[in-house]
Amino acid sequence: MSKIQFPFPFPEHLSIMVPEIFVAAMAMAVLLWSLFLPKEKHTITAWMGIATCAATIPLLLSQAGSIGLMTFYGFFILDPFAVFAKLLLVVATLVAMVLSIDYMRGEKHMPEYYAMMLFTLLGVMFMASATNFVMMYLGIELMALAVYVLVAYQREMLRSLEAALKYFILGSLSSGMMLYGMTFIYGITGQFDFEAIGIALQGVGEDGRFAMQLGMLFIIAGLAFKLSVAPFHMWTPDAYEGAPTPVTAFMSVVPKVAGFVLFIRFLVEALPVLQHDYVQVLTVLALLTMAVGNIAAIAQRNIKRMLAYSTIGHVGFVLLGLIAANADGYAGILTYMTIYLFMTMGAFAIIILMRRDGLEGELIEEYAGMSKVRPGYAFAMAVMMFSLAGIPFLGGFWAKYAVFIAAVESGHVVLALTALLFSAIGAFYYLRVVKYIYFDEAKHDFAFRSNSAVQVVVTVSTIMIIALGLFPGPLMEICHQALIGLV
Amino acid sequence: MTLSSTELLTIPLLPLLASIVVGLFGKRLQNSLSHWICCSGVVVSALLSVHVFLQVADGASFYGNFWTWIVSGDLVVPIGMMIDQLTAVMMITVTIVAACVHVYTIGYMHGDPGYTRFFSYISGFTFSMLVLVMGNSFFTLFFGWEAVGLVSYLLIGFWFKRESATFAALKAFIVNRVGDFGFAIGILAVWYYFGTVEYHEVFAQMPAFLARHYSLGFMDWHVSAITFICLALFVGAMGKSAQVPLHVWLPDSMEGPTPISALIHAATMVTAGIFMVARLSPMFEYSETALAVVTVVGALTAFICATIGLVQNDIKRVIAYSTCSQLGYMFVACGVSAYGVGIFHLMTHAWFKGLLFLAAGSVIHAVMADQDIRRMGQLRSYMPITYITMLVGALALSGVPPFAGFWSKDLIIEAASVRHMGWVSEFAYWALLFGVIFTAFYTFRMFFLTFHNSDRVPAKTKPHLHESPKVITVPLVILAVGAALTGWWGADILNLPGEGGEGFFGHSIFVLQAHNPMLTLEEIELNHSGGIWLEMGALIMAAIGIGLAWLMYYKPSDLPAKVAESFPGMHRFLLDKWRFDELYWRIFVLPARAIGSFLWQKADLAFIDRGIIHGGVIDTIATAAGRLRQMQSGFVYHYAYAMVLGLFGLVTWLMVGN
Repeated sequence: MSKIQFPFPFPEHLSIMVPEIFVAAMAMAVLLWSLFLPKEKHTITAWMGIATCAATIPLLLSQAGSIGLMTFYGFFILDPFAVFAKLLLVVATLVAMVLSIDYMRGEKHMPEYYAMMLFTLLGVMFMASATNFVMMYLGIELMALAVYVLVAYQREMLRSLEAALKYFILGSLSSGMMLYGMTFIYGITGQFDFEAIGIALQGVGEDGRFAMQLGMLFIIAGLAFKLSVAPFHMWTPDAYEGAPTPVTAFMSVVPKVAGFVLFIRFLVEALPVLQHDYVQVLTVLALLTMAVGNIAAIAQRNIKRMLAYSTIGHVGFVLLGLIAANADGYAGILTYMTIYLFMTMGAFAIIILMRRDGLEGELIEEYAGMSKVRPGYAFAMAVMMFSLAGIPFLGGFWAKYAVFIAAVESGHVVLALTALLFSAIGAFYYLRVVKYIYFDEAKHDFAFRSNSAVQVVVTVSTIMIIALGLFPGPLMEICHQALIGLV
Repeated sequence: MTLSSTELLTIPLLPLLASIVVGLFGKRLQNSLSHWICCSGVVVSALLSVHVFLQVADGASFYGNFWTWIVSGDLVVPIGMMIDQLTAVMMITVTIVAACVHVYTIGYMHGDPGYTRFFSYISGFTFSMLVLVMGNSFFTLFFGWEAVGLVSYLLIGFWFKRESATFAALKAFIVNRVGDFGFAIGILAVWYYFGTVEYHEVFAQMPAFLARHYSLGFMDWHVSAITFICLALFVGAMGKSAQVPLHVWLPDSMEGPTPISALIHAATMVTAGIFMVARLSPMFEYSETALAVVTVVGALTAFICATIGLVQNDIKRVIAYSTCSQLGYMFVACGVSAYGVGIFHLMTHAWFKGLLFLAAGSVIHAVMADQDIRRMGQLRSYMPITYITMLVGALALSGVPPFAGFWSKDLIIEAASVRHMGWVSEFAYWALLFGVIFTAFYTFRMFFLTFHNSDRVPAKTKPHLHESPKVITVPLVILAVGAALTGWWGADILNLPGEGGEGFFGHSIFVLQAHNPMLTLEEIELNHSGGIWLEMGALIMAAIGIGLAWLMYYKPSDLPAKVAESFPGMHRFLLDKWRFDELYWRIFVLPARAIGSFLWQKADLAFIDRGIIHGGVIDTIATAAGRLRQMQSGFVYHYAYAMVLGLFGLVTWLMVGN
């Protein structure tokens, strides 16, 4: 009797993916345990989710020093870049869960909601560590599938369902594009691994060049969809509006962070040969994205749709960091994402506080006169809006500064100036919110729910934005440190 | 011996703390608590300053940085202090006068709705002024310089509901902008040439800097870098210390409450320019041109403002013009390289001018806020303490021994007479000497018209006449004692001329041997070769001035009217203050307004707003936003179509690009 040989040897160095294993185990535990929980105790699962995120943070911090460790036969990498990204992702998930506690109270199947969030987190963590097409695709799909469910969570509501369906169909289309691109690259190089592809592409001659570019273009299109880059952005406003507000907050941060991290790793490791080409393509996309995001936001009356376009606009600015294609640009992206996390979460937290029965609190006019009723919230919202608009010296200013300066120093002066112009146009709709809050008369009563968890998020975000605005140095330094081993 | 840095830090920080606490919580604290906080803060500061002064007199000093404020490339700006004899004299002057004014304010501002705000401001001022004098670099100097300017602006416009007050505040601010522009250029030039802004390092580099003979050229006109720097800095001093032609704001600043006229616009802030020139003596000494300019400007101001003071009828304006004029004396002292004498006069002036203002305030308080000396007279029986103290102040200002002004002013005139700078020192000497007559005359004209002459107080004010309360008279008495004795005391302790021409100030002031008028004076003193005119000239002039005033104003007479009628043009010209305001109105204000309204109406409203914004930008963006909104149709196949089309476009672009 011959010994049965498992097709692969058991992977070594599993310890480097302890956080992922922990999150996966907890996601399944939440799902399983909820079966035994009486319905009125379902809120416990929210706290389980929060505890999971909180416990993952020290696990990640303990890995902070590792440079270039691999496991699963080189599919999964652990470096400071991945750790930093995962920390952002975990914090964002944690905040989104905190925002959900009260919002989701009384919904059906609540435990699944938190389980789905944890699965999303697992997916994006894989994306942050992916060094290989397989891992990349796995992470993206795991994330996407979970987010589809989250968007459709209030399934009795037509707009929620419609949003999820649109997102799902278009998401499938984009996945198809990305896979198609991968086949081109694989066809030329015979490799799945980013670094191996990078080496193999150097040997490709002129006749294979167009195939290479085609592969690059389709993969970029697939990633662009996840990042809401125009013209692949059109699902965004519908999905943001239809999703429950905490999910909107969640999906305007988490997939973007993971997408950009993956994008950076893919471009740096696999496509250095095509730098000239992808910079051109990204420049066109960035211009389009900035224009669409900042101009279309002006016409919006619903604040969630407005913030959807605002996200698109910010993504356009962040692309400048990719176009710079150097350490400063990538560090700028990490800085931008960190600050963006707090701005967005803070703004959505206030939107959640504005919710009265069902849908209200979403029209921008409803914020009129808020300063007289709740000066504290009004101030916080004004800080978020000023920061999103990039007014010095709040966090958002340094975020833009970091990527703009990187673009200028790598020679893209005209592009940076155009971005500045769009940033000025964008200031209009952020400041309009401030105008409603401070200068208009209230048209209806405000019925703020007292919700200490969300209040904590508002307070912390406001403090962070002001603190990062005054002392951006340490964050920028950490973001540069995070690139050790990558660039 | 080094001074304790804790003690030094406490001196400016106590008033700052008081200012912040009272500024933020003044409304909650009661008025009495507010003034207790501010007064005790400043009084403790004053006591500590005296302590520091005594240590410095024994040879202690301090130089050091506390923390780094700015690091930006090559520009490193530390915050630190430099305490030496010069600083110590300034510190006691500032804090003691400030303490007297704080106490005086309790009485003077009693019942004013802005009571706590006022205290917050003056404590903040004390802090700023201390930063200005105690700092060890051009940046702390600049910080203090701008901070005192800001507080001055706020306090001139303290009664902001009065249009004339806000106008005066704006005028002070704008005129100071002109000066500060020069000042900033000077500091930037220092940084450009020396690569540092710390006094010690700059002074240490002076010989090397001079050896390189830098010069700046504009067309055919060349000027050495050191002259450029000194002149640019001096422009700042002209603004802050109200020298012709930037003196126009100081008389108008009298719109502010009287305590600040005493503190800011007489005793301390306006003297910042003199302090700066003395502090930077290691630089000014190397530019003959700059010294000549300082002398000429000072002498011109001393003369012009003294003549204007002759005919003013507002009690505070008379003293204000006198301040400009006395500042001119101090600048002449600096210009003829007798910096120590200039600082000495600064100190005595702070006492007697602070006293005159506070006494004037006491009078104004009594006659129900009327400041016109034509509606006063015979007040001495109503307010004896004010009368006596003001007499001390007037004698001190006129330069009658043994009161303070005599000692310092006499030294300035002697220094100007022995220093050889060609026509410059000749002019300065005679301008100052005639200035003494005018000074004595306008001082005693004001004094006699207020306290003697005929009783012209309006009937409805009569019942209100009374001596001021203790919180007002006690500071008056303290300042009067100072005004009487500091001249004699200062002459003794400062030891000017002193051995080797240095005296008390030692190395804190740098004078080239060839320049030092003190050396000459010392020689003259030893040989008794001065002659009667050098020693007694100023005194004789003062006696003439007082005598004339006595003749014309002690008793009611028609002599003043006759004199005015005999020289109608002259009289008008002086009443119009040499027409500086009209000149500036014509050549600066009107054209600036015309340009402003042109840009506003034509460029902004017509061209940009109506033409570009409403015509183009807004419409385009609004249309684009609308289009984009239409494209967001809500149909999933439209969205998919956009994606595919986008991809198709990019592929095509790449193909064409290849």
